Amino acid sequence: MATSHRKRMVDQPGFWGFLFICPWLIGFLCFTAGPMLTSFWLSFHKYDLVSIQNVGVENYRRLFTEDPLFWKALKNTIFYALVSVPLGIIGSLSIALLLNQNVRGQKLFRVCFYLPSLVPAVASALVWQWVFNSDNGILNTMLRMVGITGPQWLQDERATPWAFALMSLWGVGGGRMVIFLAGLQNISDSYYEAAKIDGASPWRCFRCVTMPLLSPVMFFNLILGVIGAFQIFTSAYVITGGGPNHASLYYALYLFQNAFEYFKFGKASAMAWVLFCILLCLTLIQFWTSKRWVYYEGGDK
Amino acid sequence: MFNRPRLLLKSLAILVGILAVGCSSDPFAGKVQIRYMAWGNPEQMALEERLCDEFNQKNPDVHVSFLKVPAAEYGLKMMLMLASHSAPDVMRVDHYNFPRLVKKGYFHDLTDLAAQDPTFHREDFFPQAIQECLYNDKLYGLNVLFGGVLIYYNKSMFREAGLEDPAELAKNGNWTWERFRDSAMRMSQKGPDGRYTRFGFGAPSSGSTFPVLACAIWGYGGDMLDPKLQHAVFDQPGSVKAFQMLADFRWKDHCSPTQAQGENSLYTFESGKLGMVFDFMGMTPRYRKVIHKFDWDVCPVPSGPFGHTTLCKGNQLVMDAETKHPKEAWRFERFITSQSTEQELYVDLRRCFPTRKAMAYSKAYLQTSKPPFNNWAFVDAIEHSRPLPINDRWSEWTNAFNSEIDNLIAGRERDAGVVLKRAKQKVDKVLADEEGF
Repeated sequence: MATSHRKRMVDQPGFWGFLFICPWLIGFLCFTAGPMLTSFWLSFHKYDLVSIQNVGVENYRRLFTEDPLFWKALKNTIFYALVSVPLGIIGSLSIALLLNQNVRGQKLFRVCFYLPSLVPAVASALVWQWVFNSDNGILNTMLRMVGITGPQWLQDERATPWAFALMSLWGVGGGRMVIFLAGLQNISDSYYEAAKIDGASPWRCFRCVTMPLLSPVMFFNLILGVIGAFQIFTSAYVITGGGPNHASLYYALYLFQNAFEYFKFGKASAMAWVLFCILLCLTLIQFWTSKRWVYYEGGDK
Repeated sequence: MFNRPRLLLKSLAILVGILAVGCSSDPFAGKVQIRYMAWGNPEQMALEERLCDEFNQKNPDVHVSFLKVPAAEYGLKMMLMLASHSAPDVMRVDHYNFPRLVKKGYFHDLTDLAAQDPTFHREDFFPQAIQECLYNDKLYGLNVLFGGVLIYYNKSMFREAGLEDPAELAKNGNWTWERFRDSAMRMSQKGPDGRYTRFGFGAPSSGSTFPVLACAIWGYGGDMLDPKLQHAVFDQPGSVKAFQMLADFRWKDHCSPTQAQGENSLYTFESGKLGMVFDFMGMTPRYRKVIHKFDWDVCPVPSGPFGHTTLCKGNQLVMDAETKHPKEAWRFERFITSQSTEQELYVDLRRCFPTRKAMAYSKAYLQTSKPPFNNWAFVDAIEHSRPLPINDRWSEWTNAFNSEIDNLIAGRERDAGVVLKRAKQKVDKVLADEEGF
């Protein structure tokens, strides 16, 4: 009886599949889904690691109505996303286009442009701190050469948001560029040849051939870029700690401070869920608009 | 070729053997096991490791294992260990974190253990060193790495500028903030390109001058929080005057690097680019090691209309409230804060300041063959010291405070009175807010 039952299990179509993804599945349930559910539960509690107390939606109410820093952090983060995502996508695409050219040393160039993304985030943050040094930094020194007095990048609250947006350019040569490059290489040469025969200029080729065919890749990078921008943390944590005057207090940094510096785990969990909802909405909006500008080769889908 | 099953069997046998040996010979069987956790630079860690070994040798019934944790992760790790009931028996905790943790009941009350110990006498210690370890008048820790802030000064630079020695001025009661400002301005120099080659003084970190320059606030009769540490009093005239002076040092008198100038360690004391630096006593070993090009020494902080008061701060050696071996843990705590340990760490190596009065007043402490020679200034600093107003919400209210004075420090706002009024409102809001939200 037992053996026949067992046999039936093994014969189930999903059995081997589940068996093989079992390690991932267990990991996901224990280390991702579990903590997520816990944080959802915690967001309705006041928890400081010692005592726990159900407070209903008080954490959410306080966030929205009584915490100016929450709004400041959200505003900072939206500004960062608005500047850094387009900047990053244009940067990555430009590099990908250049690296897609058939020139000598192509492989070397690809390695060189990819290298910065291998530097640990903390180390690159420290390098940027030097770049932005308003007195001796390379950026202001160069500005001085052309007669411009650069701002106090990391001390002036008006300049700091721009400094962080510029810093995000460090990542343009990374994974996003590689994905663009792969997308470019997938575009068949025959389209370009046909366009050339019709007398299309290089710009026309880019606009009417490259862009439409690259739009699914662009869409993918846009979604990941927005999510990534909303999660900016390391550079602000290392360089300014949120200052000056909270100009670089980003959402994830404020969440971290609440959880691990002030031990307000309920509030931090509520913040995490608010962020989750924001990102979900933004992603859904992007999917909705994508119907108008994303073109999938060989089908409607 | 290899016989696979046999090879497998053999390796299995070896594995089982190793496991059996590993399990059977517990070298610490029958001993009371104590876990001790601390952080520090490699030298500090090596020292503490040696102290643990020494303790283990002298106490055959106890074994202390030493858990070293990197400084950056220490606070969080300790917090999580305490919350998950897996904390070590003995831990070192920075005083910045002590008030909020002791309030949660995480630490063992040491009052009775101290009372039963015939060798422990409170009056042997500087009162400030004991004060930091108290909560509701009960003793919850023993102070280690205790010390205060004073001025390290570049003696050669003073001499070159034709200035009077600040330590001598202090002895006669003439080392005032006006004198300090004058000296600092005369030592600041510009190079041919208009950039400063050196400054009169600097605060240790490039960022905020708070709390290291708390001595200015106290010297002018101001304060940060009320005595019960429940609300802010930055708007007092003394506090405003002190902050205005500190801002003016940078933006009006140009005798201290601005935050941007001071970034990335461009002006440090050891490179000879700062005439004076406010810093903790624990900097002495480092300066002894790296400074060879100029003469240097220490002197008290300048006096204001209300005299001179500096800040003191230490770490506390605390015991987990859930430890099963409080007596053995106490023995260990007493060992690493013993007279002979303090003699080595604080008198010979000058890592910080001894907590015992007799030791600080001893000839061995006051007379040294290596700089600094004005060792009386260390003692004077502790005698004129106060602990910082660290309460259970220190990190939160200082964050609110620092963000408000960022613009004053960066020179975007010049009026300290306006800035501090706003800072007071913000800090009061933090302190009045219900805890945990």
